[in-house]
Amino acid sequence: MSAPTTVAPPPVRQELVHVAIEDDAAPLVRQLGRTLREAVLAGHPLDELSRSGGTVAVRSHDTPQAATITLGATIEVSGGVLAEPDATVVVDLHDRFAATEEPTGDAVLAAGVLRALRRPLPHWREAAARFWQETRAIPGIPDVLVVHVTGPDGPEEGRFGEGATAYEVTGPADLLAGVFTGADDFLAALGAGLQVKGTLSQLSVMTAASWKVRFDV
Amino acid sequence: MSETSTATSTRKAVRLEATNHEGSLLGKNVSPAKFEAGKDSGFAFADILFAIDLSNEIVLGDAFPDWRGNLYDIAMVPDLSTLVEWKPGLDSVIGDYWLKDGSPVPICPRNLVKRLVARLTEHGYTATVAVEIEATLFEESVQEARGKGYRDLTPLGGSTGATYHLARSSDWVDYMEAVVARLDQVGIPWEAWTDEAAPGQTELNLAPTDPVRLADGWARTRQVMREVAFEQGHTVSFMAKPTAGFGQGAHINISLQRDGVNEYFAEDGPSELMRHSVGGLLATMAGATSVVMPQITSYRRLVDLTGPPTTVSWGVNNKTAAVRAITGHPKYSRLEYRLPGSDVNPYLALAAVLAGVLAGVEGRIEPPAEVTDMAWCLPEDCGVERIPDTMSKAGAALAADPLLRTYLGDEFVDFWVASRRWEWMEFHTKGGDPNASLSEWESTRYFELP
Repeated sequence: MSAPTTVAPPPVRQELVHVAIEDDAAPLVRQLGRTLREAVLAGHPLDELSRSGGTVAVRSHDTPQAATITLGATIEVSGGVLAEPDATVVVDLHDRFAATEEPTGDAVLAAGVLRALRRPLPHWREAAARFWQETRAIPGIPDVLVVHVTGPDGPEEGRFGEGATAYEVTGPADLLAGVFTGADDFLAALGAGLQVKGTLSQLSVMTAASWKVRFDV
Repeated sequence: MSETSTATSTRKAVRLEATNHEGSLLGKNVSPAKFEAGKDSGFAFADILFAIDLSNEIVLGDAFPDWRGNLYDIAMVPDLSTLVEWKPGLDSVIGDYWLKDGSPVPICPRNLVKRLVARLTEHGYTATVAVEIEATLFEESVQEARGKGYRDLTPLGGSTGATYHLARSSDWVDYMEAVVARLDQVGIPWEAWTDEAAPGQTELNLAPTDPVRLADGWARTRQVMREVAFEQGHTVSFMAKPTAGFGQGAHINISLQRDGVNEYFAEDGPSELMRHSVGGLLATMAGATSVVMPQITSYRRLVDLTGPPTTVSWGVNNKTAAVRAITGHPKYSRLEYRLPGSDVNPYLALAAVLAGVLAGVEGRIEPPAEVTDMAWCLPEDCGVERIPDTMSKAGAALAADPLLRTYLGDEFVDFWVASRRWEWMEFHTKGGDPNASLSEWESTRYFELP
């Protein structure tokens, strides 16, 4: 199945609950902030959680990374866990915030945050279109993204952008959606079935692009 | 060094040496025949040496320029004026990196210094620079240190506080005497050594000379200090903070001469040239921080009242400021740039200082008001900025600094900023702990290197 070469602009999205991260934030804080913003925009009921308030500690299961989500009129994300939280979740940051142990503390609060962090991903084509649009300003980014999708429904292909330089990415639909939304780490995805065709320089720039959508850096 | 040593006919190998961007002295040993065949045209090195972090991972995240591609080769051309007999049978020589078209690799640290020295020369100035190298010594061998994860090591020479104390035990004295003997053998002029601010810590002063020669001597001195430590079964670390205690720096002293006359001297205090140099050094200090404080641990030094500067400040004979102006005599009037950590790349440290000086001289930049009070713990509204205190803040400051882009080049700045972003990402996502006083990840990564 071929795809149009023109990328439609993504729909204008309005944020219902403001998500703020601290200045000079660490990668985990940035990742949480981005994911929660996406969740809000996707209509997840974070506003209910925000009305009730509370703090949720998010800890990585295999590194010292930790952050605190403070729910309120604004959802604030900050690095570290400096005070006793209302709930704690321990997650696998390389598995889309999958909980690796039972949450502690306020079970409702923990479940609500985990649900927001693990929202369903959009279709790979929508994710790719948005990825390509959000990464245009990165110096050296190729002009065209060619996506080959392998899956049970047979091969699919998408082509995003126009120009002289192209980068090809091949993989299963779910993994591609994860990489293009920032839910999955690009370099880790190369070990999980993602295949690429391009120069080492382009791989380097694609890494920057993946950090842009995953961490907003 | 060329006038103090020569290659020998008993040579069995030649060690080719140059730093990578992290400041590690890299190289390889070649046979005498191979060296003779390539000493003029250069030796092939993979350009990947400029894209490997201290854990041997390929650094990604930037757009490689044209000369970098799918692991191309670049040429390491030895500077024969640096050829010395390192030890019987082994000569060593320092070189620079060049592209196939004969132009210097834009991010080659040694070439950066040479380019900036040449720009100063265009104005009729020569720079004289010196450095205070700080390092911490431990009783344990490097194998024992590795086995202990570089933790709970025993400071060489005793565990009491130091600074000028002569009551150091003979193991520490033996080590330092062996180090300066080796420096003498390989022709690196030194001026002084003493214990420093923390148990096991030493300071070694290299004599003033021109910037390229000083950087060569500085890089080699670290190698000498490591080799002597290996031989004596001890360990030395140039980490900015090898323990959760005191940090260690690398103060750079600089003066400018014209026709042999110190142009920083004036009868009534800082000369106009010194003032402008201060202006440039302060105007570029926030961005230069990324270069002279290259690693995550570098920023753990920046604690008020502990020695390192914490504010973008200067003052006459004010050691609490980032730039100390020493005035009053044509022989020793100079600037002391107190920001670099001991983990800095010597060439890049000098490049950053020369860039700041050039910016000030060419732009006739007047410095802000001198800080005559203590420059630590200043109120936020006093008009004196804080030095960026994280790798990410410093990287952002460098990326936005038009002066440093002018003098260091866009290619270097973009490359360096991307490499620091990689380092920041590795720290946070691979096991570093910003809330620990010193995380195990940092010890593993930085204790032995650069």
